[in-house]
Amino acid sequence: MLMVTTPADPDDLMVKTRQEEVLRAMERYRPKGLVLDISGVETLDSFFARTVAETSRMVGLMGGRTVIAGMRPSVVIAATQLALTLGGILTALTVDRALDLLSAPPPRRRRA
Amino acid sequence: MSQPTQGDVPIKSENDIVVVRRVVRDLVTRLSFGVTDVTRAVTGASELTRNISLYAGTGIMWWTTLDRHGAAGLELRFEGHGLGISDIELAMKPGHGTSHGLGLGLPGAKRLMDEMEIHSELGKGTTLTVRK
Ligand SMILES: Nc1ncnc2c1ncn2[C@@H]1O[C@H](COP(=O)(O)OP(=O)(O)O)[C@@H](O)[C@H]1O
Ligand SMILES: [Mg+2]
Repeated sequence: MLMVTTPADPDDLMVKTRQEEVLRAMERYRPKGLVLDISGVETLDSFFARTVAETSRMVGLMGGRTVIAGMRPSVVIAATQLALTLGGILTALTVDRALDLLSAPPPRRRRA
Repeated sequence: MSQPTQGDVPIKSENDIVVVRRVVRDLVTRLSFGVTDVTRAVTGASELTRNISLYAGTGIMWWTTLDRHGAAGLELRFEGHGLGISDIELAMKPGHGTSHGLGLGLPGAKRLMDEMEIHSELGKGTTLTVRK
């Protein structure tokens, strides 16, 4: 399993760099899944959300599943008001639950 | 010592998005906004600043603290240089972004803040004023 923690207030370059690092790590370690721990994130704007959704699709193309863990309540509220969607990615309240989700067998059919 | 009640942040590149976020976060924290309103204000400011960097190229954010019926508030004015928006009503509709995004920024920022006004002059630029 690949675990990635995102910084509290990343700029665009940091977000894109992190995306590339994730894909390289997918190739190198061939994990079954990615847990993206965003519990430290204080601002989730549309660019960040789009990059997260895109990364999860890329990880999917490499055969992995992504779970987003730990979105703060204030971030949940702001993201909902902004009408952000994460493109149907699995989410979990905590990293532990994200790991549980990933160790369970995948659903038979899943939309990308 | 008294704190400043207005100021500005020039927006010259993508890097200034994070600068604006930090300034707005510090301001509304100083004004004792609750954590949800802090996040709302910072997220809205992030969207409007990104729009300036994407569509206007450069601009500036002016801020002023407000006394809103006895409670502390903040006004942010995002002045984007560039061409202006030809159809504001259309731009305000969700899903009507023209290029890079999902078209959520303007309608979203309006919901995140308490008030929003757009003023656009073709050939001159666009000013978005929000209050919270
Ligand atoms: N500051 C600005 N200057 C010029 N045009 C703008 C500005 N802000 C927004 N726009 C226009 O309004 C549209 C909608 O913006 P927005 O709702 O943030 O969606 P998106 O950024 O995803 O396209 C943009 O695509 C752009 O054409
Ligand atoms: Mg936008």
